[in-house]
Amino acid sequence: MKDFVSMSPLKVLEKSSRKELGPGNLAVLIARAGVGKTACLIQVAFDKLFRREKLVHVSLEEGPEKVTSYYNVMYSDLARALDVKDGQDEHRMLIERNRMILAYLHQSFEIERLRANLKNLVENLDFRPDALIVDGLDFEKTERAVFDGLKQVAGEFEAEIWLSALSHRHITDVNERGIPYPCQQLDDLFSLILQLQPEGSKIVLRLLKDHDNPTVSDAGITLDPKTFLATNK
Amino acid sequence: MANDIKKLRNIGISAHIDSGKTTLTERILYYTKRIFAIHEVKGKDGVGATMDSMELEKERGITITSAATHCEWKGHRINIIDTPGHVDFTIEVERALRVLDGAVLILCAVGGVQSQSLTVDRQMNRYRVPRIAFINKCDRSGADPFRVCDQLREKLNHNAVLIQLPIGLESKFSGVVDLVTMKAVYFEGPRGDEIREGEIPAEMIDKARAKREELIDAASMFSDELMESVFEENVTEDLIREAIRLGTLSRQLTPVFVGSAYKNIGVQPVLDGINKYLPSPIEVENVALDLDQDEKEVLLENDPDRPVIALAFKLEVTPYGQLTYIRIYQGSIGKGDDLFIARTRKKIKVGRLARLHADEMEDITRAYAGDIVALFGIDCYSGDTFTDGSLSYTMSSMFVPEPVISLSVTPEDNKSQNNMSRALNRFIREDPTFRSHVDEESGETIISGMGELHLDVYVERMKREFSALVSTGIPQVAYREAITRMAPFDYIHKKQTGGSGQFGRVAGFMEPSEDGTYEFDNKVKGGVIPTEYLPAVDKGMQSCLKKGLMLGFPVIGMKVTVNDGKSHSVDSSEMAFTRAAIGAFKQAYNKARPVILEPVMKLSVEGPSEFQGNVMSSVNQRRGMITSSTEDGIFTNIEAEVPLAEMFGYATTLRSLTQGKAEFTMEFSRYAKVPVSVAEELKKDFREKLKGEKTS
Repeated sequence: MKDFVSMSPLKVLEKSSRKELGPGNLAVLIARAGVGKTACLIQVAFDKLFRREKLVHVSLEEGPEKVTSYYNVMYSDLARALDVKDGQDEHRMLIERNRMILAYLHQSFEIERLRANLKNLVENLDFRPDALIVDGLDFEKTERAVFDGLKQVAGEFEAEIWLSALSHRHITDVNERGIPYPCQQLDDLFSLILQLQPEGSKIVLRLLKDHDNPTVSDAGITLDPKTFLATNK
Repeated sequence: MANDIKKLRNIGISAHIDSGKTTLTERILYYTKRIFAIHEVKGKDGVGATMDSMELEKERGITITSAATHCEWKGHRINIIDTPGHVDFTIEVERALRVLDGAVLILCAVGGVQSQSLTVDRQMNRYRVPRIAFINKCDRSGADPFRVCDQLREKLNHNAVLIQLPIGLESKFSGVVDLVTMKAVYFEGPRGDEIREGEIPAEMIDKARAKREELIDAASMFSDELMESVFEENVTEDLIREAIRLGTLSRQLTPVFVGSAYKNIGVQPVLDGINKYLPSPIEVENVALDLDQDEKEVLLENDPDRPVIALAFKLEVTPYGQLTYIRIYQGSIGKGDDLFIARTRKKIKVGRLARLHADEMEDITRAYAGDIVALFGIDCYSGDTFTDGSLSYTMSSMFVPEPVISLSVTPEDNKSQNNMSRALNRFIREDPTFRSHVDEESGETIISGMGELHLDVYVERMKREFSALVSTGIPQVAYREAITRMAPFDYIHKKQTGGSGQFGRVAGFMEPSEDGTYEFDNKVKGGVIPTEYLPAVDKGMQSCLKKGLMLGFPVIGMKVTVNDGKSHSVDSSEMAFTRAAIGAFKQAYNKARPVILEPVMKLSVEGPSEFQGNVMSSVNQRRGMITSSTEDGIFTNIEAEVPLAEMFGYATTLRSLTQGKAEFTMEFSRYAKVPVSVAEELKKDFREKLKGEKTS
C-alpha cells in the first residue's frame, strides 16, 4: 500500500520543522463534535501501524469491540479507496499484530494505571509501544497534572502520544499564541497542535503549533470527509 | 393471593466456599422449624447438613448441586436455593440467580472478600439481584467485620453499610447491636433460639451512635421522608427500614449483618432482613420472549389468573424419578393440569407437585406465580419453559458459558457402558454446561465442561450414583486440514475383472473455498460425465474430506470444480465415478499444499486489575495474541485469541496466578494454521500412531 504514505493525514507534517512528532512528545487534534477526531486519529494509527510500529490505542469512552469495529470500517474504506485486493491483506495482519487497545471505562483512567498497564505490556508481552492514541479525554474536566503525567509517560516509554480534544462552536477563547480552547492553557505541553475543521464539503487539517518553530505555515491539507485520507487538492 | 405474594421471598445464598453457606442455611431451617436438629458440614455425627443432599457433597464437605428448600418466618414464605461456591460450578449459581429475586451474600469475617465473592458478585450484578450481606464467623480468631465491610466497598464497589455491630469479637463474640433499634441482641439457649434484647454495652454506645449516623446518612439518600425527619430530629425505626429497603431494592445499598452461624449468633436477624429488605416477586421485573413476535421481549405479570409461564431451572434424579424444580412467573399450576414445553410443544400432565425441603418434600395441590416448586416425572431439560399452550413464550435464555475442556471417558466393562450412557443422558439434562458426544473418528465418548474439577465431579458421580466405572483420557483438540492453493486433477478409474467392468474419468481442480465450507461446482460441458453420475463424483470427494491425507484430520474449506471427464456406456456406474473422484482427490490433494489447522479461541479473562501482568504473561506463554485490555472499576478484562490446544489446565493455572480471583470464558473463534513446530509434533504423533497400528 505504497500510496497510503502520500495520502496519510500525517502528510500535514511535511510542513512541520521536524516532519514528525517524535518520541517523548505529545500532539493534540482539536475539533468540534462530529467532525471526525476519532477517524482522523485512526488514520494516524494506520500510518504508524503500516510503518510496522507498535501502537496502543487508549479509549476512554468506548469498549474494545467498538474501537475494533471502528478500525475495521476505516480500514475497509481505506482498502477500497487505495484499491487493495482481498488477497493482499498483509496490512490487516499488521493492524492486528501491532495494535493493542487499552480501554478505561467508567472513569477508570488514571496516569498510574496507564503507566502500570504499559509496563505490563513491555514486561509480559515485549510489546513496546512507539505511539499511543488517547481518544476521549475530556480536556475541560481533566487537570493539568494528567497532561503532565502523559508527557512523563511519553518520555518514560519513548513513545509519542496523540490526543483528541473537543472544542465548542460557542467558546472562541484563543491565547496570545493563537491556540484555541480547550488547549489554550496547555499548549506548552504539546509539541504539535492540529485543528480539524469542516470547510464546505471537505475537511481541512491545519498545524497550529510546530514544536519550537515560531512560524507555522497557515496552509493546511484537505482530507476526504469519508476516508480522512489527504486529497491532492 | 396479592397479599400472599408480597410475603413471598425467593432468595439465594451465595459466597466463597467455606464461608459457611451450608451452616447458615442449616440454622435458618432450624429456626424456621423445618428441621429439628442441627448437623454440621462434615459433622462428627456422620449425618451431614440437611442441604448437602448428595453423598459426594457430604463427603467433601462442599455443596455441589443446589437444593431448593422452603421455610416460613414471621408470616413470610421463603424459598432458598443453596448455591455452590466453587468456580467450576458457576452454572449452578447462575441458574439460581436466574430464578431468584434477592440474595444473601455471605462473607467470612476472617477471609473477607475472597475470590469467589468477586465472581458471585459479578454474576449477581449480571442478573440485577438485590442483596444483603452477612459477615459470618465473627467468633473466629482474626475476625474483623469492619475490614470486610470496607472491602465490600473497595473491592466490590458496594455501598455497604453496617446495620449491626458485633458485641465482642473472636472468642468474646457474644451478640450484636441493632443499629436501627439501638438495642443489644443476644442469642441464648443451647441453639441460640432464645433472643434477649438488652441495653447496648456502655463502652459501645459512642461507636453505635456514630455507626447509626452513618447508616441513616446512607439510607436517607433513598428516602426524602427520612432525610426530612433527620432535619426535624424525629427519625423512626420504620422510616430507616423503609429507606434501607428502597436502597437495597435499587441495588444501590447493601445492608450488612454480622454474626456466627456456627455459634448460633445473628441468624434470626438475617431472616428478618430477608423479609424486610429483599424484594417479593411482584417487585421484580421478569420478561419472556414471544416466539410469535420474533422473540420480542414481553413483560410477565405475577398474576395467578394469567396464562402459565414457568421455567425449569434444575433437574435432579431421585429414587422416585426425575424431579424438576420450576419457578412460576405467571399464572398457577395445579395437580392434574396440562402443560406444554415451549421447546418441543410436547404436552405433559402435572402428576405430583411438591414443595421441597432438601431431601424431604411436602405435596401441594396448586402453586402460584412467584413460587418455586418441584414437579415429578416430567421429561424435560433444564432451562425449558412451560406454558399452558395459549402463549408461545419462552423465558429469556440463561447465560450459558461454552465448555472449555474435553476428555474421553471409556467404560471398563459392559455394565459400566450402559450405566455411563444413563449417567451422561442425565447430566446433559441437568447441566447445560456439560456436553457429551461420541467422536466419529476414534469412537470414544467425549465429555466437555467448564473445568477439570467440573468434569472430575461428573466422572465421580458416574461411579457413585450410576455404578459406571470409567477411565479418562487426555484432552483432545479438533485439528483440521485445509489446502492452500489450486491443484488440477485428471483421473481415470478403470477396472476389468471379468463381467461388467468399471470406468469413469474425472477432471477438474480443487482450490481453497472462500467461506471455509465445502463446495462442489459442476462445470461439465456436453454431457461427458452423465448428469446422473455427478452426485457420485460429489459423494466421492466428500468421503475424502472426512480424513485428510496429511495427518488424517477432517478437511475443511475446499472447493472442487469438475469440468471434464469421460464415461462408458456399459462400464460406467455410480460406484465407478465415486472411485474416480476418490482417485482424483488423492492425485491432487498433496499438490494443493495442505496445512494443519487448529481451533483458535476467543478468550476473555476478567479479574482484579492487580493481576493484569500475570494474566497477560500466562496468555502470552500459551501462544495467545492479546488484543485488548479493559479497565472498569477495580477489574481488568483481557481479550485474546489463543489456540485451544494450549488452554488445557488453564483454569488451574489462572486460579493459582490470581489467588482464584479471576475467571475466564472462551468461545470458538476460527481455525488457523498451526506453527511449524506444532505441525512437526503432530506429524510425529501421526507416524507413531500409524506404526502402532501396523505392528498390532
